[in-house]
Amino acid sequence: MKNSYWIIGLVLLAFIGDRLGGMILQKLIERSQFRYSRIEKGATKNVDILLIGNSRGLTFYQPAIEKLTGKSTLNISYNGLPMNLARAIVQDQLQKNGTPKVALIDITLCTKSNQELISSFKAYATCSQPIADLLRQQDVKTYRASRVSHLYRYNSEVFQRALFYLNQSDEDWLLDRTITQAMVENAALLEPYQLKVKPQQLVALQKTIWELEEAGTEVHLVVGPYFPTFRLAGLEEYIQQVESACQKEVHDFSNLLSEPAHFGDYQHPNVAGSLLYMEALDQEGLFD
Amino acid sequence: MWLSLAASYLFYGWWDWRFLVLLTFTITLDFTLGLRLHRTHDPQWRKRYLWASIATNLAVLGFFKYFNFFIDSTAAVIRAAGFEPAIHTLHIVLPVGISFYTFQSMSYTIDIYRREIEPETNYFRYATFVSLFPQLVAGPIVRARSFLPQFRSEKRFDWNRFTEGLGWCLWGFYKKVALADSLAPFVDQCFAAPETFSSSHLLVGVLLYSFQIYGDFSGYSSIAIGLAHIMGYQFPTNFNSPYFSKSFSEFWTRWHISLSSWLRDYLYIPLGGNRKGTFKTYRNLMLTMLLGGLWHGANWTFLVWGLLHGLYLVAQRLLSSSIERVEKVLCMPRWIQRGLALVTVYALTCFAWIFFRAPDLTIAFSIIRRIATLEQFNWTSVQNKFHVMQAAVMIIILLLAELINIRRNLTILIVQRPVFRVVAMALVLWLIAFFGTFDADSFIYFQF
Repeated sequence: MKNSYWIIGLVLLAFIGDRLGGMILQKLIERSQFRYSRIEKGATKNVDILLIGNSRGLTFYQPAIEKLTGKSTLNISYNGLPMNLARAIVQDQLQKNGTPKVALIDITLCTKSNQELISSFKAYATCSQPIADLLRQQDVKTYRASRVSHLYRYNSEVFQRALFYLNQSDEDWLLDRTITQAMVENAALLEPYQLKVKPQQLVALQKTIWELEEAGTEVHLVVGPYFPTFRLAGLEEYIQQVESACQKEVHDFSNLLSEPAHFGDYQHPNVAGSLLYMEALDQEGLFD
Repeated sequence: MWLSLAASYLFYGWWDWRFLVLLTFTITLDFTLGLRLHRTHDPQWRKRYLWASIATNLAVLGFFKYFNFFIDSTAAVIRAAGFEPAIHTLHIVLPVGISFYTFQSMSYTIDIYRREIEPETNYFRYATFVSLFPQLVAGPIVRARSFLPQFRSEKRFDWNRFTEGLGWCLWGFYKKVALADSLAPFVDQCFAAPETFSSSHLLVGVLLYSFQIYGDFSGYSSIAIGLAHIMGYQFPTNFNSPYFSKSFSEFWTRWHISLSSWLRDYLYIPLGGNRKGTFKTYRNLMLTMLLGGLWHGANWTFLVWGLLHGLYLVAQRLLSSSIERVEKVLCMPRWIQRGLALVTVYALTCFAWIFFRAPDLTIAFSIIRRIATLEQFNWTSVQNKFHVMQAAVMIIILLLAELINIRRNLTILIVQRPVFRVVAMALVLWLIAFFGTFDADSFIYFQF
């Protein structure tokens, strides 16, 4: 092979493989049973209860809610989900699948901006205009790179999860570990965990509430349980800020659970804790 | 040569121009002493010149790298004796790559003293030898004997060299950008707050670190070797599938080869090597590994890491004949013997990595204690499972490639078979696009 031919061959092969690989992975993401794939392909119509949160929102345990209420649910929570990304996903849900009757939002997703996670959602940017717009606005480099390399679009944990849920439901996942004894003992010794509202995320929350209510959804704001001796700083102020900005009551369940056996770590109830939390939400009438 | 020298100075000065003065001082010192060593026949003066080089190089290295460590350790000893010392440390910035270029420059004068090489008479050629940018900040530590003559030939662009070099670079990028950098967040969490994780999570963290450090450092070496190859230079191999080692002596012929061979030639053998009886052999092994550990940085963790490797080498010598006898008695098939040896070496290497990675001994022991308790030792308590699964896939790809390389030399295949070359490189590009982490983590070995 002539010296220059092989480099042309390399560029061509790299390009063709990238496009072909991208196409196959796109098909996989479309076939997946992962919640975002289902939203994008319009498979989450007739949802009664929409659950929105970060990793703490994953304790909205769908099988328990469905058993308690007899209503259908969709949980769009994700580890570290920021409100602006949640809003883009909610927009997709409203556009492609219609209006849920009730939406529950764990307001702690206003504590962080998470550009890294928004970049991770590049796998869905091809089928979601709101996600593509957010990606372009928040991380233009990743947006451009994912246009150059189609394989790069699927370089993320979000895609790996979509692959994992290719042929199985993601609706019954819950944290199934118990907090370690060392963590229990250390809880009171740690520096207080500061809860602070990110203004950009608060605006996204306001807009999401407005868009949901405009579409006819009843929105409830909640704060899920924290480990009892885990020191939180600024929770009351945080709740007040959200209440005053959104003109809605925040239902505070942060002190609901007191047993270490109900927690996976400081910020996340496990299976046992989650079941109690769901019962409390139901008793409060937040699923109605 | 001029272009290489200018590029190297620009590269180093980009980070902090002030340290160009230090680099130039080391170059000038050893160049001058090298010439004097060669011209003088008086053994006394030759010895003085040699010691002037060694002492000055070590003093510079010691000041920048070990001054605060020495002060802190002395203060701790005085405090332990019940006194409160009024000792202050200095705010010293560690010049990038100082350990690498100091060792490289020092070996030059030692080789001249041993009359193994002739001194370089062109100052700028010598400066290029020490400062050549692909290896300046993190090795490989090249030797004057093999490297200086390469500057005497004219360099022209060569497609074959370019192909080989590009292959090295791409594979290096895979190891760094795809493997090491994507393992870093998981490992960093484990070593930042081990008490918050289960024993199985920490164990996974330690195993992943073994590949993070390997990917990071060997990735850099591959890129350096590739770049130098494209420029027309030949660097020595620095890593050769170290986790396939079946003994610790083999491990040290496969891991950071340029440093281990440096320590062997300029420390272990001058100390007497294995020629002065059993006890002295063990002493020499321990000393060499301890200093090898200390070379990495001023921290007790590196000393313990070196100590452990010294002990491993001594234990291997002590136990090898007994192990062979047991294997014969048990009629163990060869493949089981090899497998057991490989797993043992890997496991003990990982144990030593805990000290290498931990910021201090307290954290290192905390990790070991937590793993040993076997509290929540199950897959469920491992967090970030998707991360771990991705890591496993990338590690398997790396090990498979190394296994193929052991059986059939991949470099030769890449050079000789253009179709294989194109497919292999495209495959690596896809892997980088699919697995790569592109938020510019610096190389671990830059700190040494």
